[in-house]
Amino acid sequence: MTAVRARLRTIPSWQVTLGIALLALGFLIAAQLASEGPRIRYTTQERPPLVETVTGLQRQQEDYKKRILELRGAIQSAEQQGQGSASLLRQLNDQLDEARLAAGLTQLTGTGFAFELTDSTQAVPAGANDSDYLVTARDIRAIVEELWLAGAEAIAVNGERITTTTAIVDVGGTILVNSAYEAPPYQIVALGPQDIYSRVAASQGFTDFIRARAQTYGIGIAILQPETVNIPAFAGTVGFTLGQVVESPAP
Amino acid sequence: MYKRSSQLAMSAIAAILGFLVVVQLHGQQASSGLGAMSAQDLTVLVANLNTRNDELRTEIANLEAQLSDIDSAQAQGSTVVDQIGLDLHRIQGWAGLQPVGGPGVTITVAGKISGPAVEDLINELHNAGAEAIAVEGVRLVPGSVVSGPPGQLAVDDEPLDDPFEITVVGSKEALTGSLTRTGGIIAQLGATNPSVTVTVTPLDNLLVPATRRNLIPRNGHPRL
Repeated sequence: MTAVRARLRTIPSWQVTLGIALLALGFLIAAQLASEGPRIRYTTQERPPLVETVTGLQRQQEDYKKRILELRGAIQSAEQQGQGSASLLRQLNDQLDEARLAAGLTQLTGTGFAFELTDSTQAVPAGANDSDYLVTARDIRAIVEELWLAGAEAIAVNGERITTTTAIVDVGGTILVNSAYEAPPYQIVALGPQDIYSRVAASQGFTDFIRARAQTYGIGIAILQPETVNIPAFAGTVGFTLGQVVESPAP
Repeated sequence: MYKRSSQLAMSAIAAILGFLVVVQLHGQQASSGLGAMSAQDLTVLVANLNTRNDELRTEIANLEAQLSDIDSAQAQGSTVVDQIGLDLHRIQGWAGLQPVGGPGVTITVAGKISGPAVEDLINELHNAGAEAIAVEGVRLVPGSVVSGPPGQLAVDDEPLDDPFEITVVGSKEALTGSLTRTGGIIAQLGATNPSVTVTVTPLDNLLVPATRRNLIPRNGHPRL
């Protein structure tokens, strides 16, 4: 034992430092090789054109959404200037404005706040599931549900308005909202009462979410409290393919 | 001699370490987004974007036709009341302010199921093209959430019985196919909640009522 200690004392300090540095180097090379695995698998010849197609389709989608909002604005103006009984027209246009507001077809501004969800920056341990460390559609839906329960009156995720028909789904490692591709970080903006954040923070569902996703996997949750929030109008299909509107019986 | 070679070795190792740390951090950031998607996932994404763009093109065509109808009515000096009435009817129905009828499915859910699990099921219905949904007669609109632990579910403050029924207007085939496919939402719910049974019944005609919620925001106003 004494001989071993004496032998250790004779090792120069630079050799100890070098040993530690080599250990760290080995660890990093192993981590790098492990994380390279899936990316190497995805480096196929068909990927670049597919990525290009996605980018092109997204650009096209943005143009279409802009055009829809322009047309809705033009229709609204034309309807307001229409001919016919002035009082009937005014009444119909007032009802139309209310219906547009209820449907999410009008851009809103008011009090509220926003969450920003970001993927975990923690290293994924060996054998763990990579996707647990990324923001998922279920994470966004959980926050949206908590916001509705806390009294939110309008919500948008990365600029996509949540409406009666909105689905938030995972496709591979990405998320679609209203079938629009959204990349991280995910900003969930809610319009609602001024104390909406304290209401959300006090809910059991939100506490459970923080424990399950932020504390366990390191999903980032930032809170943004601007003086006012802006919620964009929904720019998508409004209407039915198979359903038919049935007049409510008069009250 | 020893000192000089050890310094060289340390410098080389420090440089490699620095490089690897940067590459690793960069790799972590790049692991999300398009760069991290497989060719198969990108193909699914392209299909989704194409479908959405087709829908948007149809919406643009409908809006252009609507605008043209109003313009020609005005040019001929006739009233636009009918056009406005149709527009109002369509938007009110879509927003949930009017009942909607048509083909679709009813889904009977029995057993110990949580609010978030029911919300997953509803999200899948939206994804499959549901046009209007009600849970035990409560129309789902923005703000409606099925919440609560198993046995204490509620929607819009209305408690839900066990079993409870979801009524959906939409394509019977698409809705049934999406729900019951292998690995679909019903299979997933069965795997995580073995006591839960979900029964899907396609119907030719069913009715989803209007919402009783006030959908006009009180804490915001239109931004001009």
